[in-house]
Amino acid sequence: MPPGGETPPFGPSGENKAMTAPIPLWEFVDVSKAYPGVLANDRVCIKLLAGSIHGLLGENGCGKSTLIKTLSGVQQPDSGQILFNGQPVVISDPQAARQLGIATVFQEFSIVPTLSVGENIFLGNMPRSRFGVIDWKKVHADSAAVLAELEVDIPTEAITGSLSVGEQQLVEIAKAVAMDARMIILDEPTAALGEDEIERLHGLLRKMRDRGVAILYVSHRLDEVERIVDEVTILRNGRVVRASGETKINVSEIVSAMVGEDIAEHYPKERNATQEVVFEARGLATNAGVTDVSFTLHRGEVLGLGGVLGSGRTEIARALFGTDDLTAGEVRLNGRKVKFRAETDAIRAGLALVPENRKFDGLFFNFRASGNITAASLGGLARFGVLDLKAEEKGTRDLIRDLEISSQAEEKTVNFLSGGNQQKIVIARWLFSDAQVLILDEPTQGIDIGAKIAVYKLINKLTRAGKSIILISSDHDELLAMSDRIAIVQHGAIKRTVNAAELSHDDLVRASADPIDHNHRHPEEALA
Amino acid sequence: MRRVFDTQLIGPFAAMVIVALIVALTTDRFLNPGNLSNLSLQVSIVALIAIGSTIVIFAAGIDLSSGSMVALLTMILAQMLKFMDLPLALAIPLILIIGASLGLLLGLITAYGRIPSFITTLAALIAFRGLALTFNNGSPIFSLDPALEPIFYGKLIGIPLPFFYLVFFYGLAAFTMNFTKLGREIYAVGGNPAAAVLTGINVRKVQATTFVIAGFMTAVGAVLMAARLNSGSPNYGQTLELQAIAAAVVGGASLAGGRGNILATLMGAMTIVIVQNGLNLNAAPSSVQNIVLGVIILLAVGIDMWRAEISALMARIFRRTPKAQTASEKKAA
Ligand SMILES: Nc1ncnc2c1ncn2[C@@H]1O[C@H](COP(=O)(O)OP(=O)(O)OP(=O)(O)O)[C@@H](O)[C@H]1O
Ligand SMILES: [Mg+2]
Repeated sequence: MPPGGETPPFGPSGENKAMTAPIPLWEFVDVSKAYPGVLANDRVCIKLLAGSIHGLLGENGCGKSTLIKTLSGVQQPDSGQILFNGQPVVISDPQAARQLGIATVFQEFSIVPTLSVGENIFLGNMPRSRFGVIDWKKVHADSAAVLAELEVDIPTEAITGSLSVGEQQLVEIAKAVAMDARMIILDEPTAALGEDEIERLHGLLRKMRDRGVAILYVSHRLDEVERIVDEVTILRNGRVVRASGETKINVSEIVSAMVGEDIAEHYPKERNATQEVVFEARGLATNAGVTDVSFTLHRGEVLGLGGVLGSGRTEIARALFGTDDLTAGEVRLNGRKVKFRAETDAIRAGLALVPENRKFDGLFFNFRASGNITAASLGGLARFGVLDLKAEEKGTRDLIRDLEISSQAEEKTVNFLSGGNQQKIVIARWLFSDAQVLILDEPTQGIDIGAKIAVYKLINKLTRAGKSIILISSDHDELLAMSDRIAIVQHGAIKRTVNAAELSHDDLVRASADPIDHNHRHPEEALA
Repeated sequence: MRRVFDTQLIGPFAAMVIVALIVALTTDRFLNPGNLSNLSLQVSIVALIAIGSTIVIFAAGIDLSSGSMVALLTMILAQMLKFMDLPLALAIPLILIIGASLGLLLGLITAYGRIPSFITTLAALIAFRGLALTFNNGSPIFSLDPALEPIFYGKLIGIPLPFFYLVFFYGLAAFTMNFTKLGREIYAVGGNPAAAVLTGINVRKVQATTFVIAGFMTAVGAVLMAARLNSGSPNYGQTLELQAIAAAVVGGASLAGGRGNILATLMGAMTIVIVQNGLNLNAAPSSVQNIVLGVIILLAVGIDMWRAEISALMARIFRRTPKAQTASEKKAA
């Protein structure tokens, strides 16, 4: 018998219980889902109530996205029941989920980069006029209305692929909001967002909750979880280790339930900066939005780039890395002037970039962990063009252990790994290479607490070894704690550089906020 | 990567064995030593060319030009031997160089001119055959050189020479793909070109290189083709490019790039040739052969695309009983 089917004589929620507690909008009863070699969800029970924001937490690979894919009809459970208003249902495919009022923001983006923002928001249910023709006016007006509700200023005609990752994420969210769903699922919606956007998203979610929408919320940023969710369910190794219903939400308690142990120090910062200047930028500008960037980077130093979403930090990274051509300024490495015509030049000179968008720019989904980790170091591994596979094997195994990457990564191609494990592998690539200057663009985006601390420790290890780091992070606490100095970026320019120790969280928020025009998207015009 | 003989070989190998069994059961001549040795001769040309086609596919490209290039190269070889009186020892290396150079040209246009390889090589498919017709007023050239035929028909310790070519070139290709920097870079470019750029791989150079390899292997195939018939003709090699691509696909290479095992292509080529042989032995007309080839390609890609569904189906069939138990246990509790 397939799960679901006809209404059973006795619902698992039981008659007497139903008297006291409201019937959940959605309920999972003993839902299991196995992938080859892993039981990703093991008899999971969860109740999602209308008018409640439900946090789903746990380490990378614990099965959060698996649960979400099941509820969104992307896959079928192996066993167990899904109840909708107390009645068993089968969610046969994503279309069925949508008809049941479920809207999902998946961890891996599902927008079409070549389409406009408006088209993406209404993809699959375009408003049509009387003759069955797409009503473009309505598409753009309605999507503009949704974006306005999110208080974001993105033109609805813009091609989605040309937006920053954060803006694309907002479009994803807008798409779910536009469906006017009764159940909204958000799998790490804030991974690429800055504090401002997160605040606005939370405001919107609270509004929707008050309207009676059920919300399932996944995030690895626990400070944010503490602020927004009404109840939490914690998974470990596919099982529920802490069910919802308990009252007070306490971060350190959540962490120990997630990881299975107490964590003493969230930011184990080591100061390894020296006086020796390794890398220097003077008056850089590009056509992609970098207007005036000057800084020095010392051996063993972590220089944080602070700024709001769209302030141009990713563009600075691209300019430094030779992706975008410089229209002004110069770059010096070890005192010598260098010119990078392409990424290859930068990498050869000893630079490395961990990109923000790991799915499109980072991973080789056809390789296992080892192939991904060594991809930037093939020259060093090869002798007369022949690879030293033993050295590759050993080096990558050590890194997989150090970074606590799932051991499955050794055997399976990385498309089978959870998002967090994938991110660790992208970082591991540059730890394996002998880069001297590393640009880390949102390196802890979407990875769990344990893994974040592992990344911080690796940053320490790198700086101890005399490497220098440019750190871009939307997590202000992380940026403040892990940087030696912080450069404040606005409109593609570095306004000033201060010691991280002299800056408080609020200072950073205030300093990076735009004093002229908050929502302006074109820095050149703003300065003109 | 790393494992030359991995699980990717199981499917193509099973397909080959099954097809061979069917043919052996439906005909009485299949297992004749004469037929088997004929089979190895037949497979050699397409299998060698398929090495190049597969490597291009690994880098997410496609090479449609090889059939026409074979015709062109046999005509150039014929020209050299018959009318220019070049010695074989000079003409053959020259043909290999010309093949690689034509591949380089296509590779440069594709990689640096940013024209999709489908278009570049489709243009070449048409143009090369046209070029082949400009030699000798478009007529075939026969009786090239008595020393040419043994290259194809010769034997060493009783085994046909093409067998050794296959072992050599497939060995070399498997080594390159699994143990060298170039091989890894080809898989990386096919897997995710954007990521390859950001890891410092020279994507265009790698793409161009795959076409050089393809051109070279096509030239090897052309030499064997000329040797087999001791002639050159602008009509040689028709649909050979499709057979070579089919060999790659039946061998499990993903047309999206990045995935596949080069040795599986050999099995793919054998499967196709065995099917053709079976149809020949059963006196099927060539129209039927083409239809069957089309169906095989569809099946091979289909099995690849439906892999998840097939394994889910298997799982459902085999797990039916325990699942029912859990459900009833639950209700009892
Ligand atoms: N398509 C798949 N095939 C095989 N295994 C998979 C697949 N998707 C996920 N897995 C495995 O299932 C387990 C749960 O993965 P899931 O994506 O649900 O984790 P997660 O909790 O969302 O993690 P993260 O916080 O990193 O996003 C992991 O061990 C993962 O490797
Ligand atoms: Mg996930």
